Amino acid sequence: MNRRLVNFISLLICLFLNIVFTQKMVHQFKFENYDVAIMYCVLNLIVFPIALFVFKRDEKQSEVNRREQ
Amino acid sequence: MSEKNNRIPFDENNYTHNIHRNNERKLDRRGFMKTLVGAAGVFAVSSLPWGAVAAKELMGLSEKEYPHKKIADLNKIGIGEAVDFKFPGEHDDALLIRLSEEKFVAYNSACTHLQCPVFWVKEEGEMICPCHHGKFDVESGSPIAGPPRRPLPTIEVKVENGAVYAVRVKRYES
Repeated sequence: MNRRLVNFISLLICLFLNIVFTQKMVHQFKFENYDVAIMYCVLNLIVFPIALFVFKRDEKQSEVNRREQ
Repeated sequence: MSEKNNRIPFDENNYTHNIHRNNERKLDRRGFMKTLVGAAGVFAVSSLPWGAVAAKELMGLSEKEYPHKKIADLNKIGIGEAVDFKFPGEHDDALLIRLSEEKFVAYNSACTHLQCPVFWVKEEGEMICPCHHGKFDVESGSPIAGPPRRPLPTIEVKVENGAVYAVRVKRYES
């Protein structure tokens, strides 16, 4: 598959995971399962650097592609 | 023909070629991806307070301690009997039930449906709300029948010097 598409879709997945984790976190907080809520909060925090990494990698790859052309 | 159309007449009278296309593709692929990353960042930052409050709850910082209040003397409550009392405020009705020699449970007696006073039925071993016939489990305070969906707030009690004291209220579940 096209690399550009892979990066794009993985970013979309990151955002989707963010939404899911946020929803779960709020619900577990309301159910007073605070340890689980903290776990989802940490997961939410981890997703952001992953998204940033994918974005940077995409930037680098398109730079390489432009030089090759 | 086309060349004639593209000719800018002269500067002072340029009302035909005045559309600037520099920002035309503001939201290209890269820009959209940047938005996605930014959204992920916003999610991460906005989940911080939840985590912080959850951690605070876990460490028990928000458990408020009320001044201990004597409910009744031990020898005045028989096993399976209940005592009404007020805790923590003067207008917060509460119910203490002695389940066994050692075991006491206490709940805020306002029904979680519409705040009717819940009472203890010794014969059936249940706490019943008379308004809509809601029933609560005596061990945990959780609703087992009728309209209420949330458990009764638990009041922690302590036995000391031959009397029962109310110590603190667990937070009301929303």
